[in-house]
Amino acid sequence: MLEFRTAGFNPYSVKYSPFFDSRLAVSAGANFGLVGNGRLFILNLTANGIVCEKFFETQDCLFDLTWSEQHENQLLTAGGDGSIKLFDIGVGEFPVAGWQEHNREVFSVHWNLVNKGTFLSSSWDGTVKIWSPERKESITTLPVHSCVYSAQFSPHHPDVVTCVSRDSHLRVFDLRTKPSAQNHLTLAIPIHAPPKVAVPGYGNVSAGPTECLTHDWNKYRDSVLATAGVDGVVRTFDLRVPSGPVNMLTGHEYAVRKISWSPHLSDVLLSASYDMTCRVWTDGSNVDQGGNGAGLGREMGRMDRHTEFAMGVDWCLFGAEGWCSSCAWDERVLVWDVREYMRPA
Amino acid sequence: MSAVRDRVSQVAAHMNATGRAGLLEKRPDDIVVTTALRTAITKGGKGGFKDTPGADLLHGAFTSLLQRSGINPSLVEDIAVGCVLAPGGGATEFRAAALAAGFPDSTAVKSLNRQCSSGLQACVDIANAIRSGMIEIGIGAGVESMSTQYGPAAVTEFSELLENNKAAAECKVPMGVLSEQMAKDRHVSRQDQDKFAAESYRKAGVAQKQGLFKEEIAPLKVKWTDPKTDEEKEITVEVDDGVREVTEQSLGKIKAAFSKDGSIHAGNASQISDGAAAVLLMKRSTAERLGQNILGKYVAASVVGVPPLLMGIGPWKAIPVALGKAGITKDDVDIFEINEAFASQCLWCANELGLPMEKINPKGGAIAFGHPLGCTGARQVSTLLYELKRTNKRVGVTSMCVGTGMGMAAVWVAE
Repeated sequence: MLEFRTAGFNPYSVKYSPFFDSRLAVSAGANFGLVGNGRLFILNLTANGIVCEKFFETQDCLFDLTWSEQHENQLLTAGGDGSIKLFDIGVGEFPVAGWQEHNREVFSVHWNLVNKGTFLSSSWDGTVKIWSPERKESITTLPVHSCVYSAQFSPHHPDVVTCVSRDSHLRVFDLRTKPSAQNHLTLAIPIHAPPKVAVPGYGNVSAGPTECLTHDWNKYRDSVLATAGVDGVVRTFDLRVPSGPVNMLTGHEYAVRKISWSPHLSDVLLSASYDMTCRVWTDGSNVDQGGNGAGLGREMGRMDRHTEFAMGVDWCLFGAEGWCSSCAWDERVLVWDVREYMRPA
Repeated sequence: MSAVRDRVSQVAAHMNATGRAGLLEKRPDDIVVTTALRTAITKGGKGGFKDTPGADLLHGAFTSLLQRSGINPSLVEDIAVGCVLAPGGGATEFRAAALAAGFPDSTAVKSLNRQCSSGLQACVDIANAIRSGMIEIGIGAGVESMSTQYGPAAVTEFSELLENNKAAAECKVPMGVLSEQMAKDRHVSRQDQDKFAAESYRKAGVAQKQGLFKEEIAPLKVKWTDPKTDEEKEITVEVDDGVREVTEQSLGKIKAAFSKDGSIHAGNASQISDGAAAVLLMKRSTAERLGQNILGKYVAASVVGVPPLLMGIGPWKAIPVALGKAGITKDDVDIFEINEAFASQCLWCANELGLPMEKINPKGGAIAFGHPLGCTGARQVSTLLYELKRTNKRVGVTSMCVGTGMGMAAVWVAE
């Protein structure tokens, strides 16, 4: 396990570079992001541990970041002051571009993995905005009317956008549809709906709405997503059966702040929670692992070395299939191998 | 700076864990139980309390509560007492009982009647008054002397107007009769009822032998007239005298009470009994300030209506509502105390909700030791909290069906 200290700053998000297996970026804020400056760390994994290659200072906390899919030295940040900034590692100490449309904290930014010429942002102001790095103004604004904690492009389709929000809904937008009255909204799934098929140990009753803080698209199955939030339950959804969750993975004692599907295995995902643990789960869909398609999900292991709220987690796209990185309010970024924390079934 | 405040409250809201985890959290504004106790429950007309008026039973519960909790009586601002049969609701004699027990005249007292859930309603009323800030410390209690007050006088004659309204008239169908019909309609067999009842007796017997009721029962010295010699003596009542050895087979021989081919009889219905119970409630912050020992907390309650002729299904409707309010599912609950008004209705509710039998009334219920109407709801609190604590479990539900077609349920957490 490798460790880096973000002294004086509490990390909110960690992301591996899609271009280099040794490069990481961490967005953070002073004073737990409540008040004060933000900082973007560019980290390198070296033979001597994790080394900070460069950092950028901002005037407000950076709640999220995403690497550019077009340029290996560029990355975007989500600012507490409503700004989105594009930094270039090779260029000075200031951002090379900036966008200011959101009225409140920006909580997530995500680069389009298919059409690499667009990115999106989501904000506490209740909107998701689609942008092009070439344009000063946003291309589209998708109203959600509730604090949007996380928004993403589908990794399978350039025009499909999803987001999760405080109002306990997973929304699916299709930018090919006419804007008309629906504003491209094609689905709004209540996350707290009881599962169609009762999940053992959970019953068939909804426990009521819960703020949804994070979601992620499965990288292999193009209709599958996972969500998680304040109730600590990781749920998987299949957009072909959108009425309720397919699987409910329970175990986290407090809110789950971030989840991420494995780029290597179609059934595995990681979560980071306010209960200070990062856990690795299977949704039971992998037949080889004893699942039966829509089988029973379970926790496969947990990493509990963080000593404060775990906020971010990301998988390394390269090399062996278990390397990942996590960050927490204990001012630490940890790089570790999930396989070391797996328990036998 | 408002952005800072917003961000702080947002993170704080993220810590509002929902579900069981959220339920188990300790917060300063939790409504906690610091003392819960009851008198023994004794057989109506024959048992240890047959000559003790209801207000005296209540007085006994009050004095024991003051003694056990060590609370300064002048800090108790209100007392709610659930009672079904006392004329005038018992309002006058209950206030008098509080004064006699040592509460100062500054302590208010009310009586209330929601039939068999009166004791629970009293606890919930006090909890709500504390939560809303109306009072800081209060007592929810329940009492019933069925020996002295059970009978036709407890219900006023219906007017012509009520008699001519179908739904209204159904409110006075005797509970045994309507439960018999319900058992028939819902296919609860005599055998299943007897099995459930025998199990209640067995569990209560075991619990009694192991002394599991000792913590909740406050012994009470009362005057008692020996029916054989007519001699009045003073006895100490500290055991539920309704508990006895029965088997499914022995129950199978008892004649049905309400119809010839019926299934309900004295052995698989709740007993007519006397008893009182009291629960001391306050905020956690208050309890900690006063150094009170916290037994558990009150989380949420529900009250629902059902057709009068199906009053037995009350818990089936009320429990999911209470669980929903508490943000948990039935699987999060460790123990259900569901009043055994009749084996038929309790069993039907449990089956319909899919509750595992081992989670229901682990120390037996009203079939084994009795159902002093107004007392039961408050009695369940002490039975539940002590059992949760003993078995190292946390989440419990108390519930009962209510005459004239209602149900109540409440969620509690032991600490």
